[in-house]
Amino acid sequence: MGGVDVDTGGKKRSTNSEINMVPFIDLLFVTVAFLLITAVWVTNSRINADAQVPGPPNPNIELTPQTPEKVLNLHIGESDFGLVWKQGATVVSEVKVPKTPMEIGDGDGKIIRYPELAKKIEEEWKQQGGHRDPSDKKLDQCILHSDNRTQFKEIVAVLDALYSPKREMKLGAETKKIPVFNMTFSVR
Amino acid sequence: MDRYEPKRHHNPHAHVIHAPGARLMHGVKLRYVWNKVSGHGHRSPNASLNLVSFIDFLSVIVIFLLMSFSASGEIAVDKNVKLPKAENVDAIIDAPMVAVNGNQILVDGVQAGSTRSIEELGRLQKIDELFALLKNKRELWKQVQPNKPFPGVCILQVDQNVSALVVKSVFQTAAFAGYPNVSFMVGKIPASQ
Repeated sequence: MGGVDVDTGGKKRSTNSEINMVPFIDLLFVTVAFLLITAVWVTNSRINADAQVPGPPNPNIELTPQTPEKVLNLHIGESDFGLVWKQGATVVSEVKVPKTPMEIGDGDGKIIRYPELAKKIEEEWKQQGGHRDPSDKKLDQCILHSDNRTQFKEIVAVLDALYSPKREMKLGAETKKIPVFNMTFSVR
Repeated sequence: MDRYEPKRHHNPHAHVIHAPGARLMHGVKLRYVWNKVSGHGHRSPNASLNLVSFIDFLSVIVIFLLMSFSASGEIAVDKNVKLPKAENVDAIIDAPMVAVNGNQILVDGVQAGSTRSIEELGRLQKIDELFALLKNKRELWKQVQPNKPFPGVCILQVDQNVSALVVKSVFQTAAFAGYPNVSFMVGKIPASQ
């Protein structure tokens, strides 16, 4: 089958040698079969959220009163989104973004996206965001306010827009791009 | 192949037993067979197959499959749950799975509440069965790994048509049960840029 042809030109013993390709092809077939059987064709991922539950207080550390951080409150309305930055109870800024969904596909597999909202959130974070330095391990917080009847696919579309702006963060020796916000739900 | 040229032997039966030859067809002493396979002096009916392109093709398939190989395997998703899709996502991690479809709530396949009852009540509530199951899982984890801090991560597989009220109720119950880091499982769509 496979061979290497080296012409010696004399009456010496031929230096041609043949490599048996059968086991090599068998190995390739077995590898293909194994990889086809174990292949994962559907890739699922996750969107992170945080319930903002405070941990138990450390008795060794004296608590010092701190000024509250600016928090983005994202309101999902009927026809628009409200981006409200609050510091404690004080409203720092308020912006309305019209609800212009971009629908991909149709029927049950329809995907909703809000690219305008993603752009506006990025602009707002660049103006008001508090955690920008790559060495800063904390993320800016976002509280999502939605009606109880809102469908989950719409919430995911808003979360996708919220996690669109990214910044660099040093994690050990390497630097990674991570979303600038961490999200939680608003409940009464 | 050349035409068959019989050697002269002193023993008339010497051609029956002989040392095996290394080359195909040279060991066959039948004139008819030799002439048949060599094409009666014409073009031989034997054709050699070029294996180079075949091996190239197999190698490309192996490389493609190796690139798309996932060591973590496939994560089971409840068949009644149709996940929404998103672009800005993280890789999935090993954590308890809470499936929420239009009728029921399941924790790793075990029923842990009814979606309908939450919607009928119309207000946010703590789901007792879900709370108990998640709390048991947390305590079991702590018993198995007493020296490690509990990560408090769980993953929600929520159907895309489920209402925010149910999502918030499950989210809040998970937080009460000691799982404040809740992730939502979604299908991944390729980046638009």
